[in-house]
Formats: sequence, C-alpha cells, structure tokens
Amino acid sequence: MESNTEIKNAKTRIEHIEDVLSSVAAGDLDIRIESDIEDDLTGIEQAINLLIDDLTHELKKSIKMKEDMEDKLHKIQDQQKTILQQQEDLMELSSPVSKVWDNILILPVIGTLDSQRTQIMMENLLQKIVTTGCTTAILDITGVPTVDTQVANHLLKTVTAARLLGAECIVSGISPAIAQTIVHLGINLSQILTKATLQDAMIYSMKKNEQLVDGKVKTNYIEQDDNK
Amino acid sequence: MDFNEKRIPIIKIRDYLIVSIQVDMHDRLALQLQTQILEEIYRTGSKGVLIDISTLEMVDSFIGRVLSGMASMAAIMDAAVVIVGMQPAVAITLVELGLEMPGVDTALNMELGMEMLERRLNKA
Amino acid sequence: MLEIVSDKSWELLEKCPIHNEYDIVKARQIVREFAKREGMGIVDQTRITTAVSELFRNMFSYASGGEVLIEKGIVEGKPTLIITCIDKGPGIDNIELAMTDGYTSGGGMGYGLPGAKRLVDRFEIYSELNKGTTVRVMKWK
Repeated sequence: MESNTEIKNAKTRIEHIEDVLSSVAAGDLDIRIESDIEDDLTGIEQAINLLIDDLTHELKKSIKMKEDMEDKLHKIQDQQKTILQQQEDLMELSSPVSKVWDNILILPVIGTLDSQRTQIMMENLLQKIVTTGCTTAILDITGVPTVDTQVANHLLKTVTAARLLGAECIVSGISPAIAQTIVHLGINLSQILTKATLQDAMIYSMKKNEQLVDGKVKTNYIEQDDNK
Repeated sequence: MDFNEKRIPIIKIRDYLIVSIQVDMHDRLALQLQTQILEEIYRTGSKGVLIDISTLEMVDSFIGRVLSGMASMAAIMDAAVVIVGMQPAVAITLVELGLEMPGVDTALNMELGMEMLERRLNKA
Repeated sequence: MLEIVSDKSWELLEKCPIHNEYDIVKARQIVREFAKREGMGIVDQTRITTAVSELFRNMFSYASGGEVLIEKGIVEGKPTLIITCIDKGPGIDNIELAMTDGYTSGGGMGYGLPGAKRLVDRFEIYSELNKGTTVRVMKWK
C-alpha cells in the first residue's frame, strides 16, 4: 500500500518531468531530469533524458553542418573574387601604356586581340591621353598576329575617338597578314595614319613635336609609366 | 518655370571668349547658348572661342550638332571655336553614334586649346 | 496597342513622365543613376544615357511627351537595365526608313534611332500611325 508521502513524491516528480519537458520545448536543451530515487518512474525519467540527449546531439550536428557549409560558401566566394581580380589584372597587364618623351604615348600591344580586350585597351588609352595631355599616341601592334573585323573596327573607333579628344593616334607594326585581312574584309582604314614600324611612328611623332616646340629638341629622357 | 532657367556664363580673357558648360543642358538651353556665343563674338569682335566641356558627361546627337553648328557659324563670323576637355566616354559614344564632328577643332585641355587658337590667329 | 509588354519577373525601378525639357534632363539623370547602381562602367553608363536621351527627345519633339518605364530584370541570363518609352503621338510611318542612317524628317534632324540602337544591347520598336510609338532599349552589364 502506498503511503501519502510516496504519492506526494510521485506527484512532485511528475510535475518536475513536465517542467523539464516544457523547458526543452522552449529551447533549453541542457536541462535534464534529476532524480535520486530508484523506482518505476526512474525508467521514464531516464528515457526522457536519453531522448533529450539524442535531440541535442542531432541539433548540434545540424548546426555544425550549416556552419561548415557557410564557411565553404564564403571560401568559394572569396576564390571567385580572386579569380575575377586576377582576370582583370591580366587584362590590364597585357596592355601596358608607357609615356615616352613629353608628348607621345606609346601603347605596345602583344598577343591575340579579342573584342573585349580591345575595348578595354581603347578606354585605357583614351583615359591616359586625357590624364597625360599627350597629343600623339602610338598604338603598336607588331606583337599582334591577326585581327578580325570587330577588332579592326575597334581600332578605327579608338583613332577616331582620340581625334575627337584632340589627339592623334597612329597605328604602327601592321603585319602583312593583317594588311591582307583588312583589305579583304573591306575595312576602310584611310582615316587612320599607319606606319610600318614603331620606329617610323616615333620619328613622325618627334618631328611633329619639334614643330610644336619651335625647333627646340627636348632632352633625351624616357619616362616609364606603368599603368594601374 | 523661368526661375530655373540658367544662363551659361561667357567670360572674355584677352582676345578669347571662354565658355564652361557645367550643367546638364536641355535642348533649348543648348540653342540659347549657341545664339549667346555668336552674339558675344559679334559684340566683342573676338576671334577665338574656347568651349570647355570637361564636366559634360553626355553629348548626344542634338548637343553634338549644336556644337559643330556653332563652329561653322563662328567661322563665318571669322572666329575659331575650339572644344576642349571632352571626356573619353563621351568621345567613344559620339563615334558609336556616328557623329564624328568633322571640321570641329578639339583640344585636350584649356592650355592646349589656347595654344591652338594662338597658332591659328598668328598665321592669319 | 502595346505590342511590347513587360515581363512579370522584371522589377519596376521608376516611372518618369516626359512633359517638358526639365523632365528630359531629370529622366536622363535617373537612368544614369540606375546604370551606375547596376554596376555599369562609365562608358556603358554614358552609352545608355545618350541612347535614352535620343528617345526622350523623340517623344517630346514628335509626340508632345509620354512616359518612361525603367525596369530591371534578367535577360539572356544577364542582369539588365530596361528602359521603355511610350508615347501616344502620331506614330512613325516607315520604321525601316527611320532606322537608316541619314534619314531626316521635319527639321532635318531625324529620329536618332539608328545611333541609339548602336549604343544598346537590345532595341525594340513598335509604332502605329495616329496611335503612338513604343521604343524599348536594354543594356546589360
């Protein structure tokens, strides 16, 4: 026969179990049922504690997985940024602009020109013309094996835009292959001043300069200006 | 509506007129400017005009035609017009628009523009 | 009469009425601002602003005004700025002719359409005589 105290104890312990379950439902996963009495209720209490343990374990695993994935995502995004930056740098590096003498800008171009690269080159050159105030620019394409219609048209655009700004853009280093392509494609380059070699272009430009400084030849210095 | 109407200032420095366009112009203002400049040329007898468009972020076909029109009209009045300070993006866009403004003198900046006018007037 | 409709997935950024010259200047600046916000480089910003300037002028000069819708959406997989100019003017009689370089009408100015078309990535035009004209241009980054 159960005494009154035993019934009261059972009630308290059941209330305790209910409290713990409410707390877990509210989010407290650290709480466990405390009991130091060994009887029929103990089995339930232990089972509930085990259940909470499992729940906590699963939840922590979930959170860790989410954090790992977010970490990975950030790493990938950083990598993407680096790749994009490197691509941009490569684009810029492949078309350096140097300033030679006082009034002449030289842009040596090396490698295959595609539409995008030519566009960037055009914008860089025009910007450089404005910031340096050079009235002559030489676009040397000795290092360019071939051009297609698009690129040729971009070059034409560059020269025309330079003229609009108030500068003259000379194209030098046209290979026989490019000359043939241009004629075959029917591109009209009569608006562009072309010179066979960079040297010819330089001599032409320096003569032009001499006219501008009334016969006074400037001293022999070369200013290297690596573009940013 | 008129209290908002701006007049672009025309300054006379030595023998030249200097116009600095710093506002986004609507068509009417551009035409007004054209007339203003020609009137100033007439009034002052100036032989050279420098139009500074270094802060103009856009030149469309209308503005482009107003500018080249100005150059032709001024030439008839024996004055030279030099447009200075065009922005690269504007130059590229004008070329793509197909507006190449032949016969319009341009210079990279005010200093070069003045040198150009000096050379032109000394030869005359 | 609008044959050009907006894709439901596009986001409407702004609606600009064009009734006078100040509206044109304001709308131009708004377009440039959005182009800047979409991350376009300075040259592309200038291209789209110049292109719409031509269109706004047409609306104002030939149709005494109209409305401009500025939207953004994904076109051909790219984030794109879409500007639609709608007017209820006289319409264009021969669109093909209007799209050729050197075509002039009225005061010898032409519609500026072929130039605008070269500056943008996509150009659509629909016009009906006495009903109006709708021109839509798109520029992607």
